[in-house]
Amino acid sequence: MEPLTKTETSSQRADRSELVLTALDVTKSYAGRPVLRGVSLELHAGERLALTGPSGSGKSTLLNCLGGVDRADGGSIRFKNRALEALDGDGLTEVRRRDIGTIFQFFHLLPTLTAAENVELPLQLNGVAPAERAERVHALLKRVGVLGRAQALPGELSGGEMQRVAIARALAHRPAVLLADEPTGNLDSRNGAIILELLRELSDETGTALLLVTHSGAATHICHREIHLRDGLIAGVRDKDAD
Amino acid sequence: MAARPPVLRILWTRFAWRHWRMAPVSSGLLLLILALGVAAFFSIRLANQAAVAGFENFTDLITAESDGLITAPVGTLPTSVLLDLRQLLGNTPVNLVPVLETSAVPPRRADTEGIGARPTLQILGLDLPALVNLAGQAYGSGGGLAGTPGGAGRRIGDQSAADVYISAALARRDGLTNGSILSLVINDRPAELRVAGVIPTPPGRPAAPASLLIMDLPDLQALTDKTGQLDRIEFVLEAGPHRAERWARIKAQLEAANSPTAPRWVVSSSAARRDAGLTMTRAFRLNLTILSLLALLVGLYLVFQGLQGAVVRRRSEIAILRSLGVTSGQIQGAWLVEAAVVGLAGGLLGLALGWLGAQLAVQTVGRTMHALYFGRAVEAAAFDFKEALLALTVAVAASTLAGWRPARLAANTPPAQIAARAGSASDPGGRWLNHPGFGLALLVAGGLLTTLPPVRMDGGGRLPVAAYAAALCWIFGAGVFAGQILSGLGRLIQWLKIESVPLRLACSHLRAPGGRHRLAVAGLVCAVGMTAGMAILVSSFDLTMRGWIARTFQADVYATSDGDQTASTINRIVPATWQSIAADPAVKQANVIQGGEIFINGVSTLLVGHDPRFYRDYSHPAWVSAPRDDAVFDAARNAELVLASESFCERFRLHRGDVVRVPIPGGDRPVTIAGVYADYGNERGSLLIERRQFTNWFGSQLAASVILALQPGEDPEALRAKLRLAHPGLGVYTSGFLRGEALRIFRQTFAVTYALELIGIIVAVAGLAFTMSSLLWERRNDLATLRALGLRRRELSAAAALEGGLLAVAGLVAGLLVSLALGWLLIFRINKQTFGWTLQTDLPGAQLLVLALLVLASATLAGWLAGRWATRLPAEREE
Repeated sequence: MEPLTKTETSSQRADRSELVLTALDVTKSYAGRPVLRGVSLELHAGERLALTGPSGSGKSTLLNCLGGVDRADGGSIRFKNRALEALDGDGLTEVRRRDIGTIFQFFHLLPTLTAAENVELPLQLNGVAPAERAERVHALLKRVGVLGRAQALPGELSGGEMQRVAIARALAHRPAVLLADEPTGNLDSRNGAIILELLRELSDETGTALLLVTHSGAATHICHREIHLRDGLIAGVRDKDAD
Repeated sequence: MAARPPVLRILWTRFAWRHWRMAPVSSGLLLLILALGVAAFFSIRLANQAAVAGFENFTDLITAESDGLITAPVGTLPTSVLLDLRQLLGNTPVNLVPVLETSAVPPRRADTEGIGARPTLQILGLDLPALVNLAGQAYGSGGGLAGTPGGAGRRIGDQSAADVYISAALARRDGLTNGSILSLVINDRPAELRVAGVIPTPPGRPAAPASLLIMDLPDLQALTDKTGQLDRIEFVLEAGPHRAERWARIKAQLEAANSPTAPRWVVSSSAARRDAGLTMTRAFRLNLTILSLLALLVGLYLVFQGLQGAVVRRRSEIAILRSLGVTSGQIQGAWLVEAAVVGLAGGLLGLALGWLGAQLAVQTVGRTMHALYFGRAVEAAAFDFKEALLALTVAVAASTLAGWRPARLAANTPPAQIAARAGSASDPGGRWLNHPGFGLALLVAGGLLTTLPPVRMDGGGRLPVAAYAAALCWIFGAGVFAGQILSGLGRLIQWLKIESVPLRLACSHLRAPGGRHRLAVAGLVCAVGMTAGMAILVSSFDLTMRGWIARTFQADVYATSDGDQTASTINRIVPATWQSIAADPAVKQANVIQGGEIFINGVSTLLVGHDPRFYRDYSHPAWVSAPRDDAVFDAARNAELVLASESFCERFRLHRGDVVRVPIPGGDRPVTIAGVYADYGNERGSLLIERRQFTNWFGSQLAASVILALQPGEDPEALRAKLRLAHPGLGVYTSGFLRGEALRIFRQTFAVTYALELIGIIVAVAGLAFTMSSLLWERRNDLATLRALGLRRRELSAAAALEGGLLAVAGLVAGLLVSLALGWLLIFRINKQTFGWTLQTDLPGAQLLVLALLVLASATLAGWLAGRWATRLPAEREE
């Protein structure tokens, strides 16, 4: 990987698609220890961006700040032209509810809900009518290959099945950006590969931008670009399209 | 994506409700314990209400509601007053209803039957012929006393001697019909009355209770040796507009005709008379309500712990919901709704349990209230919708309040990305429970509050509000300090370097206890402190009562009317009877007790005529302020001297040497309090005067009881049997029997407190179990690590059991210490200010030891069970 000299290498993509997320000189510290020390990036509709780096490099913190679950100390984050730092707590929640889908390493399915109900939940929260909800849940579960397990509770699903349901849930409300934090970190290599392929396909099909935090080299293969973080700074960028 | 999503509904139906359904046992237990608190509150309120319901004027049931009444300033009214009143009122359209009232009981079934075992009936003597017209007003045409089922029926005015009219309820219950014979004891004589008909129910009025009987006035006067006497005269105005104004004019006319120096009558409105009974017992009822609220308070502590634990267990779920876009406000709202629903469900269950409990409590509360204040029969507590609504509102409001902190904790849960990396959930109550200064301030505030006097209420009742507030301050202050004890305990065991892995693990969590630990200990301190404090009070009361009973009942035989069931019974012994008893050759000396209710400054109390020398020689009174000389015991010198009970002095704020103006027929008489004695028999207080003086003032020779000292060698049991045979209407008791009965009634009165104590302990231990399971849930990854390191499940369970046990030790140390202070407060402030009774202090060591062992064992068991459950939890898996 080359050191960062030109984040602009993705400018060609910027020309052909809408800019959904921009981070400019973002900083963040915990207990006086700087975790992010001025990170800038852009994410376009339909783009898949991998955030890599060693443990403690600031990947997850950056993901949290971009997803509006944590606030940056400095710099600016704009989501579809709305500055996240200007929004209050409810405003950030609203952005998460409508425009962001999240996939977790540990799946985080709600244990009291069936697979179908888990997928339905974001649609309910967004006030989608029941008939449309049922239709979309059915289609998504079918698409991720767990329609036969729709009425199963999370405790009855395998790890791969749980992550498929989690992906369906993250995409249910058609978010502009999908944030995935180590989505294959808790899966075996076969299931991990299947999940990555699924993410690639769904991103292409729906035009949803994907920001993928990963340690896995395999995971970066599905992304258009890779940003490598080290000690809270961007240490390198690789544009797969340019390779 | 347009409609506003019903987020609260989604959160409730999809999450909260499912969690409750998925854990039916713990959910059910939580609801049941809350329901117990609500039930205690509701049942005591219903029992209170039933106990005071007897104050309604019974005559209202048969006539139209009366507008006012007159009574004698003391004693009874002569019948001649009726003529005077009629002359005074001229043609004013008002009906005068003369009333004589007495009580009666069914004859005893067994000779050894306990006091208070038989129901007390009220008999109203009314001028039945005169009521014919009046009844017509109340019932419309054709009104009158109807026949019993199966009987031909009789009409008012058609009665013959010794006929009695009974309620439909009594007719049904005892299968009585027209012509049936009703056996009763009235005064000191058995009486047989013939059932002549049923008291009808006027339209829109409540039915007559089973305890009400009606007789013709002259019949009852003859039966009670009160010929020519009335208890009161009621005034019933004709229906029409401006009724209140018309009564006000009559009242003014009656008052104007009264002599200011020697009043012949006291005029009062019916509403005021009804209120008098309620006012008199208000403090007693409030005290009971406060006690029942304590049960509710501990129930709410459990709701708090339960919801707090649920927040911990559902923390991941909340974090995911936050990630999915549910706002913190919506999360908080959902938890508050959950708390309110818990309150509603627990409240509804509590209403059902409370109604059942009220049927049991009504007997105890009724007996106590009647023994202390007045005599009326209480049969059952009716379901009251207003009271139910109040209990439900209290349950929902208080449960929502208890859920406030857990709801805040839930709302502050960060979204999943952060929650997964953050440490444990925020510490509940950590800040204020971690400040010994705050605890000290509470203890000092409590101490200052104990110096404040009680709130004095109308009717002489006193409510120790400041003392109750002091108790709360001390309980909470000790709860805060218990956290320090916990940490000290953890450090001490660490310092001892005991080679036990489970013990070291347990202590590692206690050295710097978190808010959850501190809260659990505070809950234990509250329960142990209150329970042990109450145990000290009851034990002290028991010791004092035993001493008082032993001193008071030193004579050999006691005789009263067999109808005497309460302190204020109307039944009396006629002179011929008590004179023949006193003249029995086996009797060395007799103390004839006369007495009745008097009002001083409008407040009810008892005036008792007795033999002071007999009292001194055979009772060995416990003096609060002993007489300075023997004058009060000397018939030649005690004409203006009285002995006053401690309750009397507390109630009227008087001391030895003070002068009291006693109302007697024809005016007031000043008397001086020569001494103050301890008396635990009634709360209203008593004044004891020489009986000769009582007879002179009131002109009555009817005795309330006769106390006998026997000649040497005479057998009390033999005399008792002899007197019972000669006077079947008398209740004759030996001192041994009476002592046993007095203690039995006293202990029965305190039965309700044991139930409340038990609820407190169960709740505190259940709260500790909730806490332990929450703590272990949070530590499930650590437990998995410990398992990986080679610890066996039973070792982890043992560590949890030790942690629970040590929590209990800290709670017990602080709880028992605060219980000593609470015991002092209950004995020397709350009890003294409420009842005016001084008690000897007794520390029930064995009882407190049992309590400590019980709490320790239950807490250790709760910790062990929680540990066993937690060692089977998968790490990082959601509930």
